[in-house]
Amino acid sequence: MADPMIRAVDLHKRYGTHEVLRGIDLEVYRGEVVVVIGPSGSGKSTLLKCLNLLEEYERGEVWFDGAPVGYRTLPNGRRIRERESRLSLLRARIGMVFQSFNLFPHKTVLENVIEGPTVVLGQPLAQARALGTDLLRKVGLAQKADAYPSKLSGGQQQRAAIARSLAMRPQAMLFDEPTSALDPELVGEVLDVMKALAGEGMTMVVVTHEMGFAREVGDRVVMMDEGVVVEAGTPDQIFTAPAHRRTESFLAKVLR
Amino acid sequence: MSYTWRFDVVWDYRAVFLRGVLVTGELTGGALVLGLALGLVLGMAKGSRLWILRVPATVYVEFFRSTPTLVQLVWIYYSMPILTGLQLSSTVSVIVGLGLNAAAYFAEIFRAGIASIDRGQMHAAQSIGMRYSQAMRRIILPQAIRRMVPPFMNEVANLIKLSTLASVLAVSELLHEAQNLITNTFRPLEVYTTLAIVFAIIIFPIIYLSRRLEIAWGARS
Repeated sequence: MADPMIRAVDLHKRYGTHEVLRGIDLEVYRGEVVVVIGPSGSGKSTLLKCLNLLEEYERGEVWFDGAPVGYRTLPNGRRIRERESRLSLLRARIGMVFQSFNLFPHKTVLENVIEGPTVVLGQPLAQARALGTDLLRKVGLAQKADAYPSKLSGGQQQRAAIARSLAMRPQAMLFDEPTSALDPELVGEVLDVMKALAGEGMTMVVVTHEMGFAREVGDRVVMMDEGVVVEAGTPDQIFTAPAHRRTESFLAKVLR
Repeated sequence: MSYTWRFDVVWDYRAVFLRGVLVTGELTGGALVLGLALGLVLGMAKGSRLWILRVPATVYVEFFRSTPTLVQLVWIYYSMPILTGLQLSSTVSVIVGLGLNAAAYFAEIFRAGIASIDRGQMHAAQSIGMRYSQAMRRIILPQAIRRMVPPFMNEVANLIKLSTLASVLAVSELLHEAQNLITNTFRPLEVYTTLAIVFAIIIFPIIYLSRRLEIAWGARS
């Protein structure tokens, strides 16, 4: 197999005295959909935010497409911080979708989508608008292009946020509990967009409690608890024959 | 007790008030520019994670907030020349003094406004490849400024009233002009009443504008 697109090695992170991540190793290959599951507080979201350094980590390394994310360890063992310009370039290639959408409320839906292409990539406005309109059509929001986010339902906001990420033409996408803040009847429309993306071969890391999605779309499922990876495997392995007691009891609770 | 109000006397001296308004405007305008520029820097420093920026900014803000503005003005005009040999004119002293003072309050408005914006906004901006400074300028500040407007307008109104302190340095702003007028006309009640009305006329539109902006922006987001 080729080198992994995303690789985390021995990640450690703590908030004060609480260790959130206690040595995480994760590899995500090109085109793969990795679903991270586990009880709340297990460190899933923190892990995801470490992958593009929205959260700092104290120990370990993250690599994206062969380049270190945020920190580099010198041969003498010293850890140095990457320059912000390099970090931003990497982040531009990794899309991220948040639990709380985080659309820019002072900009219309289309302005949200073209913000990255015009400001970060320097695309001409006309080109960015054409691309943005295409993407909004793709997520079913063409008619909402000029609306402000506050006028949209949660599901629409999340789809707009996905379009905003896609506008950067990312090589991988991180989803941080993208449907957890949605009313149940709006979950499906967001999952459908994500399924379509997976179908197109997008590399995805998805933190979710949607076990149906994990089973149907995931290539690999990673079970986390208390800051460590308990086990990882195909959805079939994890859901039908979990190797670990903690996985078994977690699934028993969520699949009731 | 009967008192005959003689506002016609004041009316005869309307040019004096007009002159005073211009000087008051000049003082306030100058202090506003200085206060905004310095306040923005201080506000950023106060919100910084680096203690080397945060601590001095905090000391500055708390110093100016906890000492009387009048003393600050007198200190700049009378004490600074003794200590540094730098003598500012009375007008410049007032602009600098009020500006330094206003900066302390603006800093707190800036800091609180920026801190009130959800962290997720910065995360979202950075996740599409924006640098911190770009995200600040394009995403955080435009939202924060809307929240800063009401306290900011409030502070501007305060600053206009504080400019009357310039009278102790014999700067010919509204209060000083009014006091001169009183010694000429022996009509303190009429003059002070008029002074109050003039200030109300200047300040009320600012407060009104602030409320209109709040309503207009509230409707959008």
